[in-house]
Amino acid sequence: MDNGFAKLTDDLKTTFRGSMAGPWPDERFGEWALRVFQYQFEANPTYSRYCRNRGLDPSVLERWEEIPPVPTSAFKVVPLVSGDPSRVQRVFRTSGTTRGAGSRGAHYVLDLDLYRASLTPNIEAHLYPPGPVPRLLALVPSPDEVPDSSLSFMLAEALSVLSDGDGGFFVRPSEGLDVVGLSRALATATEEGVPVLLAGTAFAFVHWLGYLAETASRYELPAGSRILETGGFKGRSRALSRPEFYQALSSAHAVPIERIVNEYGMTELLSQRYEPLLSEPQSGSSAGSLEHRRHVAPPWMRTRVLDPVSLEPVPVGREGLLCHYDLANAGSVMAVLTEDLGSVDDEGRLRFAGRLEGAEPRGCSLAMDQLLSTAGEL
Amino acid sequence: MTPFEAGTFPSGFASSIRWEPIDVDPGADVRYPTMEGSEWSRLLGMLVNSAGALKDRPVSELVESIGRTADRFLDPEDPVRLEAVEWLPPTAGISVEMAAEVLDGMARDWTADRLFELLERELGGVEVLDGFHRIDAGRMVHAGGGSLTFHVGAGTVPGVSVTSMIRALLVKSAVLLKPGRGDLALPILFARALAEEDEGAADAVAVAYWPGGSGAAEEVALATADVVMAYGSSESVAALRARTAGTADFIGYRHRVSFGVVGRGALSHEEAERVARSAAKAVSLFDQRGCVSPHVLYAERGGTVDPAAWAGILAEAMGELEDALPGGCLTPEEASSLHQLRGAAELEEAAGDGSRVYRGKRGSWTVIFQAGPVFRTSCQNRVVYVNPVADLAEVPELLSRVRRSLQTVAAAGLGDRRERLAAALGRVGVRRITSFEHAPWPPPWWHHDGASVFSGLLGWIDLEDE
Repeated sequence: MDNGFAKLTDDLKTTFRGSMAGPWPDERFGEWALRVFQYQFEANPTYSRYCRNRGLDPSVLERWEEIPPVPTSAFKVVPLVSGDPSRVQRVFRTSGTTRGAGSRGAHYVLDLDLYRASLTPNIEAHLYPPGPVPRLLALVPSPDEVPDSSLSFMLAEALSVLSDGDGGFFVRPSEGLDVVGLSRALATATEEGVPVLLAGTAFAFVHWLGYLAETASRYELPAGSRILETGGFKGRSRALSRPEFYQALSSAHAVPIERIVNEYGMTELLSQRYEPLLSEPQSGSSAGSLEHRRHVAPPWMRTRVLDPVSLEPVPVGREGLLCHYDLANAGSVMAVLTEDLGSVDDEGRLRFAGRLEGAEPRGCSLAMDQLLSTAGEL
Repeated sequence: MTPFEAGTFPSGFASSIRWEPIDVDPGADVRYPTMEGSEWSRLLGMLVNSAGALKDRPVSELVESIGRTADRFLDPEDPVRLEAVEWLPPTAGISVEMAAEVLDGMARDWTADRLFELLERELGGVEVLDGFHRIDAGRMVHAGGGSLTFHVGAGTVPGVSVTSMIRALLVKSAVLLKPGRGDLALPILFARALAEEDEGAADAVAVAYWPGGSGAAEEVALATADVVMAYGSSESVAALRARTAGTADFIGYRHRVSFGVVGRGALSHEEAERVARSAAKAVSLFDQRGCVSPHVLYAERGGTVDPAAWAGILAEAMGELEDALPGGCLTPEEASSLHQLRGAAELEEAAGDGSRVYRGKRGSWTVIFQAGPVFRTSCQNRVVYVNPVADLAEVPELLSRVRRSLQTVAAAGLGDRRERLAAALGRVGVRRITSFEHAPWPPPWWHHDGASVFSGLLGWIDLEDE
C-alpha cells in the first residue's frame, strides 16, 4: 500500500514540476483525480467505508466530479490518512479560532515533499516574478516554534528555497508580534535597498498597522517590494474594510495596492490559490479594484461550486459553497467541502465571497459556538 | 403576492412611514417600517395613553377579546388563520403543515379558557388586577403592570412573541413588540385581528420589525419602557440589558438547550416504538429551533430494545414524520452546517467508533447514535443524537458543559425513579421535566427558565388595614 503511495507521489511531484506554465485540459485533471481517488479508496479504510456507505466506489465512478468530498469539520473528528498512519511526517492543525478553541482540525501529512512540490512553484509563480530576489519577512511564528502550522511551514520553505535564506520570522507564540525586530528589519532592508516580501495574516497585519499608527511611523520600502496577505478574511469580524485595510498597508510601506497579493488557503488543503497580480502583470490594470480580483489555483487543484442546500453544481459564475479537489492532498483526502462561499469563472478563477459559519443562527436553541464559549466561562 | 408589512400601529396613529424590504424568503416580499425618532416617541406616547384606558377596564373583558381573536386563529375557515398559514412558511422558514401545527399549539393557549385558568393559577383569579382584593389577613392587594412594555422577540419559534404580548395586555400594559425575523407573521396578524375584536385593546399595541441593534426605535423604546422583555442569544440579551434604562425592569430569556431521557422501562418491545414516535415529534416540532427542542436523547441500556436498536426505530419515526410534517426550507447557513455535521458524523461512523448515522433521503432529519455519552448540541433542523448510558442516574454529571443553558428534559420510562432523577437534574440546572408529548408545548403557567409567569411584568400594591 505504501509502495503505491511512493509511486503516486513521485509521479505527482514530477507532474507538478512542469505544470505552472499553463492550465491542464479537463481530461488530464480528471485522469489524475480518478487515480488519486482509486489510491485513497484503497489506502484509507475510513474514507472508503464513507464512500461505500454512499454507494460509491471506483468501479461505479466515471467522472472526477463524482468523488465524494469530506467536510472540513471531519478533520476535527477523525484522522484522515491515506496510507500507513505510522509514517505520518507532520500534523498540521487549524487555528481553531473560528469554531471554538476546543476543536482544531488536524491534517496528517505523509509526505512533506509532496507539500513542498505543490507550494513552492505556486508561491514562486505568484510572489517571485523575475527580478531581484526579495527578503522574506514573515509575520508568523517560525516552524521551529509552531511545527503544526502549515502557513509557517510554507513560508519557511519559501524563505529557504526562494529567498535564499534571506529573511526571518517576527511572531513569537508567547509574546506575539516582535514589533522591534520587524521595525529594525524593515529599516535595514530600506537602507540596503533590498526589496521585501512582507508576508502574514490579516490579523497580524492589523496588529502591526496599529503599532505603526501608535508610533507614527511608516516605511518607504525599496521598489519591487510586495506583500502577501493570507488567511485573515475568514470568520473574524474586522474593524477595517478590505479596501481600507489594503490602503493602510500600502501607504504604511510604500507598496502599491497592486502588489498586495491575497492567498486563499486552508490547513485542510496542501495547495493554495493566489491573486495573480505579479504573475500576470497584464491583469494589473484591474488589480487596484479589489472587487475584480480573483484567486487562481495551480493546475492540480480544481474547485466545484455547489448549491448550499442540494450540493448540486451551480452554473458557471453563480455563487455557492466551495468544494476543492487538490491532488497534493494525496496522502489525506483530495476532495474537501468547505463552508466558504464563492464563484468560479470559466477559467476556474475563484471569487471568494466569505464564509457561511459566521451567520446568525436562526434557532433559539443553543448553537455549538455559543455553547463552547459558555463552557469556557465555567 | 402583495407585500407583507411587518408593522402595525394603533388606529389613530398617522405618520409618514417608509417601508424597507427585509431579506427573508427570496420569493416573499416583506417590508418593515422606518420613521424619524420623534415619530417613534409620539407613537410610544399614544401607547401609554391607551394603557391608561386599559387600566379602567375589567381584565375579563380583555381576556374575552383576546380569546375571540385566538379562536379565529384556530378556525380553519377564518381568513385570519388562512393568512397566517400563508405567511408563516416564507417568514419563519417552516412548511405549511408545520405552520398549521404551530398555530394549533400556540393559539390554544391564547383562548379565554386558558387565560382565565392562567390568572386563576397565578393570581388566584382576576380580582387583583381590577382593584384591591383581600387575599390574606391585614391587607388588600392590587396588581398591575407598568404603562409600557417593550418586547424583543427571538424570532425562532413563531408565536412566542404573541404570548409575550398577551401577558402584557393581561396586566394592562401597552405593548411595543419587535418580533424576530423568523416570527414576523403571527404578532402582526394577531394585533390586526385584535383590532377587529377590540379596538381599545389594540390601540395599546404596536408591532414593528427593524434590524436588531439599529435605528431610532430601539433607542426610544429602551429609554421609555417600564419593562423590557428580551428573548434571544446570550449576547443580544446582554446587549439589550446594558442599554435598558436603569429605572426599567428587565426580563431576559436567553437561548437554552433541551434533551431527553429514555429509561429502560420505555425500551420494551411494546413501548419502544411509541416512545420513538413521541420523541421524533418533540425533536421535529419547530424544526428543532425551540429552546424546548431536544438535541440529545439519553437511552438506557438494560431494556429489551438496546439503545443502538432504538436509534434505528427513532430514525424510522423521524422519516415518517418528515412525510406527515415536512421540514422547512434551510437557509444556506443551515444547510452548510448540516452538511458539515452529517459528513463528520458519517466519517466517525466509517472510522468504526461504534456510532451509526441515519439520515433522510428527503429532508434534513438525521439520527446519530453515538457510542459515547458526550453531550453534543446539534445544528438544529431535526438532527438528534442518541447516547447510550448504563443508568440514567449518570446523566446529570454528563451535563457540566451545558449546565448554565439547560432547560427542558423530556422523559419516558422512568417509573418510580422519576422524582429522584428530576431532583438531580434540577440541581444541575434543568428547569422543567416533562413527557415527550408535552415537551414542545409548555403550559401557559410554566416557570419559563425558572421564573413565574408574571414576575417582572407585574407589581403589587399593598393596602394595609387601618
